[in-house]
Amino acid sequence: MTPQSDESLLGRDGFSRLADAALDADLGGGMAAVEVLLQREAGGLTRFANSQIHQNVWREDLAANVRVVTDDGRVGVASIHTDDPAAVAQTARQAADIARLSPPDPAFPGLAPMAKAGDVDVDESTLAATPEDRAEAVRALLAEVDQRYEAAGAYRTQADEIGVFNTEGQRSYAPRSSASLTLVVTGPSSSGWAEDGGRSRHDIDPAGAGRRAVDKVRAGADPTDVDAGQWTVVLEPPAVGTLAAYLAYMAFGGRDYLEGRSYAVGRLGEQVADERVSLTDDPRSPHAGGYPVDYEGTPTSTVELLAGGVLQSVVHDRNTAKQAGTDSTGNALPAPNTYGPMALYPIFTPGDGGSTADLVAGCERGLLVTRFHYTNVLNRKETTATGMTRDGTFLIQDGKVTKAVRNLRFTQSLIGALAQVEAVSSDIAYAGEGFEYGCRQPALRIAGFSFTGTTSFG
Amino acid sequence: MRDLAQLALDEAVAAGAGYADARAVLEEGESLSVQDDRVEGVERSATRGVGVRVLVDGSWGFAGTARLDREQIMAAARRAVAIAKASATAQRRAVRLAPVQVATGSYTTPYGTDPFDVGIDDKLELLLAAAAAARGEPKLTLAKASFDAWRTSKWFVSSEGADLQQTLLQLAGGVECIAVGENEVQVRSYPNSFRGYCATGGWEDVVALDLVGQAQQHAEEAVALLDAPNLPPQTGTLVLDANQVALQVHESVGHPLELDRILGYEAAYAGTSWVGIGDVGSLRYGSDHVNLTVDTTTDKGLGTYGWDDEGVPAGRHPLVANGILRDFLTSRETAPYVDDQTRSNGTMRADSWGTIPLIRMTNINLEPGSGSFEQLLDEAGDGIYMSTNKSWSIDDKRLNFQFGCEVAYDIRGGKLGKLYRNPTYTGRTPVFWGSCDGIAGPQHWQVYGTPNCGKGEPGQVARVSHGAAPARFRDVQMGVR
Repeated sequence: MTPQSDESLLGRDGFSRLADAALDADLGGGMAAVEVLLQREAGGLTRFANSQIHQNVWREDLAANVRVVTDDGRVGVASIHTDDPAAVAQTARQAADIARLSPPDPAFPGLAPMAKAGDVDVDESTLAATPEDRAEAVRALLAEVDQRYEAAGAYRTQADEIGVFNTEGQRSYAPRSSASLTLVVTGPSSSGWAEDGGRSRHDIDPAGAGRRAVDKVRAGADPTDVDAGQWTVVLEPPAVGTLAAYLAYMAFGGRDYLEGRSYAVGRLGEQVADERVSLTDDPRSPHAGGYPVDYEGTPTSTVELLAGGVLQSVVHDRNTAKQAGTDSTGNALPAPNTYGPMALYPIFTPGDGGSTADLVAGCERGLLVTRFHYTNVLNRKETTATGMTRDGTFLIQDGKVTKAVRNLRFTQSLIGALAQVEAVSSDIAYAGEGFEYGCRQPALRIAGFSFTGTTSFG
Repeated sequence: MRDLAQLALDEAVAAGAGYADARAVLEEGESLSVQDDRVEGVERSATRGVGVRVLVDGSWGFAGTARLDREQIMAAARRAVAIAKASATAQRRAVRLAPVQVATGSYTTPYGTDPFDVGIDDKLELLLAAAAAARGEPKLTLAKASFDAWRTSKWFVSSEGADLQQTLLQLAGGVECIAVGENEVQVRSYPNSFRGYCATGGWEDVVALDLVGQAQQHAEEAVALLDAPNLPPQTGTLVLDANQVALQVHESVGHPLELDRILGYEAAYAGTSWVGIGDVGSLRYGSDHVNLTVDTTTDKGLGTYGWDDEGVPAGRHPLVANGILRDFLTSRETAPYVDDQTRSNGTMRADSWGTIPLIRMTNINLEPGSGSFEQLLDEAGDGIYMSTNKSWSIDDKRLNFQFGCEVAYDIRGGKLGKLYRNPTYTGRTPVFWGSCDGIAGPQHWQVYGTPNCGKGEPGQVARVSHGAAPARFRDVQMGVR
């Protein structure tokens, strides 16, 4: 029998059975609270290179993460990948054993209380995607790529589920569908990028992505050198997504803030970016790919990080919220979490700048950047990062893209860049780099963006 | 678990696979973290599952499942065959596998004391003592210490008759000292950044690190960095500590010599390579001092095993000899692209039961030179010494790189002098390795683990190693800000 569907759900009932195995397990004396985080991931990914499918995979995983707290505040965590309730119960007993061996944690804030989480859109046809559905999408984009070029990328469909159940009465469950497509088309002297994605595979236009990438590789042919230095840049949404992800990582975590390691220390309420710039963490947005609940059972929410360029807040889990004397914003990672809370879905608010082409039209001389590559942190507290441009970097002269240029290395304070924003597009597009699942971002035009090196290809 | 792998294999062959292999994997993990006098996290984990990889008419399919009843495993095998058939609808060239000596047997990492047999309370006691020692420096803001262990048991069977069982034991431990100033955060790590010492072996290797004895001096250095000047922009002689040489090898040698990258398999994600398939035997990768090997037999290496995840036996192979490119990291699928006689050099690894094996770095070593570290400094003239990676970035062909380190010192008259913070250096791969004019001798050569090597889609994280000694490079651009 050939499987017809890749990604059917286990469902609330299936999750409840597994969770109750841990919550009802005999853990011995002295146990005060138990939490079970269940995550199921089922998905297929069809990868192509040299214009043919070369890797094609499917995987189903179900992980149970059990946190047990003793009467005197000792905490232990154990996890297992299984769909067997007895194994989950045994994992709870192991977590209890670990807790007994650990010293009390006076900072432990307790488990999340019962609270209703909202819903996110789930697309049934994405849950039901088959290998042939993915192959058909790949064939559609390959049909747009003529023989002079080679195409490489990946088409993914995914059915995920999360459940957080605890002895405080919280019993949250949520499914999630998602799909994404990445594509690089390579020619003799250039490469071109396109990507697409969302909560439904119907958010993706494979043939359209193929055409966009081919347009890029054609326009990028025979790149020339430009000097490193300060440039006005128009960053397309994939490049803006990288900025958002690294900024969230460096500046907006509640733990770094409390430990004095964040840019945000002493700056809440300050104007740090141009007034056109607003940034929110919004996991439930139709433009993001998050869940309605975080990994310790708190409902996720919309958190204003920057509003009109003013630094508004950082994100919290229950631990940092207790220390800060506030409430969790629903940004916890799975326990035990040594990184602190994270803003996983930071989205720049669209502006009134029109399209990316409109942002280019308003630029006298600058660079159009399709995306960044291998970005990394240089100085967290300054929000300084470095990385390369990739798959389409172009010179703008008198409001027009005039020629392709070779890739450049940037070294730049990201908050510093946001202070120099000249325009924010009203159009938005999918950006996957730096995110578990991508977000839709606008394009930005930024003055004085710092490039510190060049390379020898486009 | 072996029977589950055999079940998947049999079902895949019955469903029409021309070639199939199956891995049943159980990975147990332990992770302990402390900060100052508080235990931040204690976790035990276990993940187990079966992955089956098939070729149908020269196209690949793969399916993996953590649901281990017979029906789910057989369904996964049939799914892999269905996926391969879908792959064949967008095929240009059929996959052909290089031959391999079909093997049966077992391998276990050599170790003294299994870290899973040491009590969690004993390990926490060591970590808390190390953090307390670091807090002996009163101006230190945060002291962290951590320990990780992984025990991976895997069974591999193939339709060619391979039947292998391996148990790999890997562990990590270290201290991180964090000093926070008004506008600066400075970190010193011991014995390395990113979870410290990472290697195969036993608990005795962590005890030998003397985390408690080493913590305070690193704490003092972190605090001193707060008041040190930034490394000024300059071009000159750079001596790298072995721990940074290891990451330089990783980014600018290991990744660009992965043959799947060279063939374009990673083009859309990690990128391609500046190296071409026809460059073997002629490309000057570095100076005559530069000798690099891929060695899956290196003592303590995270990439040390009996066989890779295609059943290819461990071995040692030159990649660069006296500066000239000699080979790539290969697999059974990619090796025939070099020529018909080429065999895989055994670098295929999957990071779990649920992922396909990819060409991974295993242990990529810069072979030692001669002489002492002091001689390396003596012959440097004026220069800069940097240690312990803090940041890394390299373009998608692995040419233009920029690294940041935790600490730098002036070299004057063969001695280390003034302390600098936030040091960076940048360059292009063949120019940089071509400027190497000295590598310290075997007495300074160590194996460093990199536990966070990312590659592939869906993303995989491999634990790999690099043997390295301190090395000297000329005309390097430093202090980029």
